[in-house]
Amino acid sequence: MSNIFSGIKEAIKKFLSSTSPYEQSVEEFIRELQRILIKSDVNVKVVFEFTSKIRKRALEEKPPQGVSRRDWFIKIVYEELISLLGGEEELNVLPKKKPYVIMLVGVQGSGKTTTAAKLAWYYKNRGYRVGLIAADTFRAGAYEQLKQLAEKVGVEFWGDKGLNDPAEISRKGLEYHLSKKAEIIIIDTAGRHGYGEESKLIDEMKAIADAVKPDEVILVLDASIGQKAYDLAKKFHEATPIGSIIITKLDGTAKGGGAISAIAATGAKVKFVGTGEKVDEIEPFRPKNFASRILGM
Amino acid sequence: EIKPEDFDEIGNDFLLELVENDVAYSVAEEIINTLKNTIIGKRVPKNSDIKESIKEALVDFIKKNIPEPDLDIIEAIKNKQAKEKKPFIIIFMGINGVGKTTSIAKLANYIKKNGMTPLIVAADTFRAGSQEQLQVHADRLGVPIIRAKYNSDPASIAFDGIAYAEKKNIPVVLIDTAGRMHVDRDLINELKKIIDVVGYDLRLLVIDALSGNDSVEQAIAYEKNVGYEGFFLTKSDADTKGGVALSISVETKKPIYFLGTGQNYDDIVPFNKEWLIKTLLGEK
Ligand SMILES: Nc1nc2c(ncn2[C@@H]2O[C@H](COP(=O)(O)OP(=O)(O)OP(=O)(O)O)[C@@H](O)[C@H]2O)c(=O)[nH]1
Ligand SMILES: Nc1nc2c(ncn2[C@@H]2O[C@H](COP(=O)(O)OP(=O)(O)OP(=O)(O)O)[C@@H](O)[C@H]2O)c(=O)[nH]1
Ligand SMILES: [K+]
Ligand SMILES: [Mg+2]
Ligand SMILES: [Mg+2]
Repeated sequence: MSNIFSGIKEAIKKFLSSTSPYEQSVEEFIRELQRILIKSDVNVKVVFEFTSKIRKRALEEKPPQGVSRRDWFIKIVYEELISLLGGEEELNVLPKKKPYVIMLVGVQGSGKTTTAAKLAWYYKNRGYRVGLIAADTFRAGAYEQLKQLAEKVGVEFWGDKGLNDPAEISRKGLEYHLSKKAEIIIIDTAGRHGYGEESKLIDEMKAIADAVKPDEVILVLDASIGQKAYDLAKKFHEATPIGSIIITKLDGTAKGGGAISAIAATGAKVKFVGTGEKVDEIEPFRPKNFASRILGM
Repeated sequence: EIKPEDFDEIGNDFLLELVENDVAYSVAEEIINTLKNTIIGKRVPKNSDIKESIKEALVDFIKKNIPEPDLDIIEAIKNKQAKEKKPFIIIFMGINGVGKTTSIAKLANYIKKNGMTPLIVAADTFRAGSQEQLQVHADRLGVPIIRAKYNSDPASIAFDGIAYAEKKNIPVVLIDTAGRMHVDRDLINELKKIIDVVGYDLRLLVIDALSGNDSVEQAIAYEKNVGYEGFFLTKSDADTKGGVALSISVETKKPIYFLGTGQNYDDIVPFNKEWLIKTLLGEK
């Protein structure tokens, strides 16, 4: 608990030692918490829902015998924060069945192609036979990018520059990898945000999912994304239900609060984080570390 | 007359509105404080809407404080040709995945449409596929490109590019660089070396309009550690509300040169304040 709260130690100290009425101290603490979360790019509406839940519990719950109201409040904040992050437990990142088909989706430049290679590296090193599929027919050089990465990692690659239907590519790629006895198959798709003229790209994403029936759709989210993360994640989730989230570029200064918005919008959990450009710079998501990052202003 | 206590609650709501449009929190606070000072004490008709006054003050603030580019790129290229017979050098930089390479292709297309042929230099020697990506754009646009070997020194390829342009009388060189986190000292030093070796006429920091508070961190760190003349703001088509544009211009006082408004070559728009006012505050 103390580890998570390291960034807001002062606020907690102030809260615990304040002589103002309890309700007022709660209000002050909540205001500070709101500010910190918003600065970390958590969606404003998500922040207000979160803090009103805390406020409600703070005013209604009776602490158990021997526990002060103020100590109890801090426990409430902790619990709610952890639940905002999708729980305390680290996820089991190994596939539940074999073969397992993963489809990566996300906004332009969020890191899908790189993450496809990182996942391939991660699972290959844990003994799985992995295959990659290049289903981005739009971005210049996307095919070469994934192919070069597949070679670097040392996994099977499938793509066909002669085809321009990503759903057909994905279906054929799946057949190819299954024939090679792949256990985990990862499909890289083109970037999209889906607003305005891009709405047809959402249909394209659905068509790929229809063609391969992925076991898991992963939303790849740039840590620097702002308020739009909520809306975007929701849009994606409605098109192809999001099974989990990967946050990339946590090696920069962005706090990554957009991931919290995406969790709220989809109900999905974060599985991995990306911490660099190289294929081995991927780690399973650790909720407590992430909470300290968000709060560690 | 508007009193401080009348302002505070509405001011706070307005701050949240700005933040919801991805104005960085610190910048939104700064703006609200400035607006507060201009509004308090102001005489307004009875029952008039304070929020409307705040909006008007923000429009004034933008008109007064948001810079626009003081050079027209096309004119600047022509001038340099006429005076020095040397290529105008534009260097693109920014963190990973913001849209540098695509924006180079768009600007190359824009320059071509204005009757000149640019040279593209593919000085991202790191990211997988980066060379092929830019080659595809160069081929489609019909512009020359200088490519490099992966993992080779980007400064030396940039140098070769400039030498080639000088020899061939190419009026403008667009240099693509690898994505670099503003906190990665080695990569930032490598970028500085490229700039030292080739010089520049214009350094553009590419920023993603979808980003949140970090846009300001990127802008500040790049200013402190590298330096640049202005911005290229990408992905403005993603239903973004101009908050990032406001944040980075207020914070650095540097102009935005172009907006990226899609993934096609024509999706490039020179920036102006009217666009920002319209996007941020709706029709005005
Ligand atoms: N620093 C850092 N860079 C990353 C990370 N993950 C990806 N990148 C970089 O981000 C940039 C964009 O990554 P891509 O994998 O091409 O992104 P994408 O989502 O496939 O992009 P599109 O296909 O164009 O939509 C590249 O420069 C990657 O090297 C990360 O965790 N940290
Ligand atoms: N919708 C939209 N997408 C854009 C825009 N500009 C760039 N993109 C997309 O963003 C993705 C990343 O663009 P790149 O040009 O590869 O980005 P980069 O900064 O060169 O990436 P790295 O070199 O890997 O750091 C691509 O899918 C582009 O098509 C824009 O204005 N709007
Ligand atoms: K991005
Ligand atoms: Mg990609
Ligand atoms: Mg690039």
